Amino acid sequence: MNVRYLFPNKFKNIGWFILIPSVVIGLVTHILDYEPILLDFNVPAIFIQEFLGDKHFIGIVNNNILNEILGVLMIVSSLLVAFSKEKSEDEYILKIRLESLVWAVYLNYAILLISLLFIFDLSFLWVMLLNMFTILLFFIIRFNWQISKLKKSVFYEE
Amino acid sequence: MKNSIKVERAKKNITQADLAKLAKVSRQTINAMELGKYVPSTVLSLRLAQIFEVEVSQIFTLEESD
Repeated sequence: MNVRYLFPNKFKNIGWFILIPSVVIGLVTHILDYEPILLDFNVPAIFIQEFLGDKHFIGIVNNNILNEILGVLMIVSSLLVAFSKEKSEDEYILKIRLESLVWAVYLNYAILLISLLFIFDLSFLWVMLLNMFTILLFFIIRFNWQISKLKKSVFYEE
Repeated sequence: MKNSIKVERAKKNITQADLAKLAKVSRQTINAMELGKYVPSTVLSLRLAQIFEVEVSQIFTLEESD
């Protein structure tokens, strides 16, 4: 079955290779609040709200770009891990893929609803930060778990 | 939906792995179909019929719940 919206199988390993280190570095640097000065840059911004100030569109802000770099790496690599073909991609795997995706969206929004109701103010920034990655993360976990279950199930036969 | 893939496969004396290769799907998919866990697409059904040299309706039959 020819599916145009999935990456070739080899991108899955490339994805893992980037994803794991960037998650580790991302978590550690975020928790320790580490921002190396050499990554401080003046960068263009589409929307700016100054601290206790007014809002405007388009401008230049001074920003540490470490979290942007890590964020891009994490999003791109988890897309590769999530949406690269399996070695033996066929229509049954596509069905498992779809089910896992729906399941991941449900779980993600269930957690988001609970967080919305019970986490407030600045603490909610953590929710928004993690929520950028959780849909794909839940999908990756569920899909790979289902696939490994499938591979084990096949030893009955003949 | 019921299917007689296992029976047809026995008639032809081929393994799940052989059939998987012929039908261009994974062995897990053949297994899941035989266990009634997966209903194949029209394309795959036609391919199976071609391999077993029978009509599609001889492999697949509707059940009351369908």
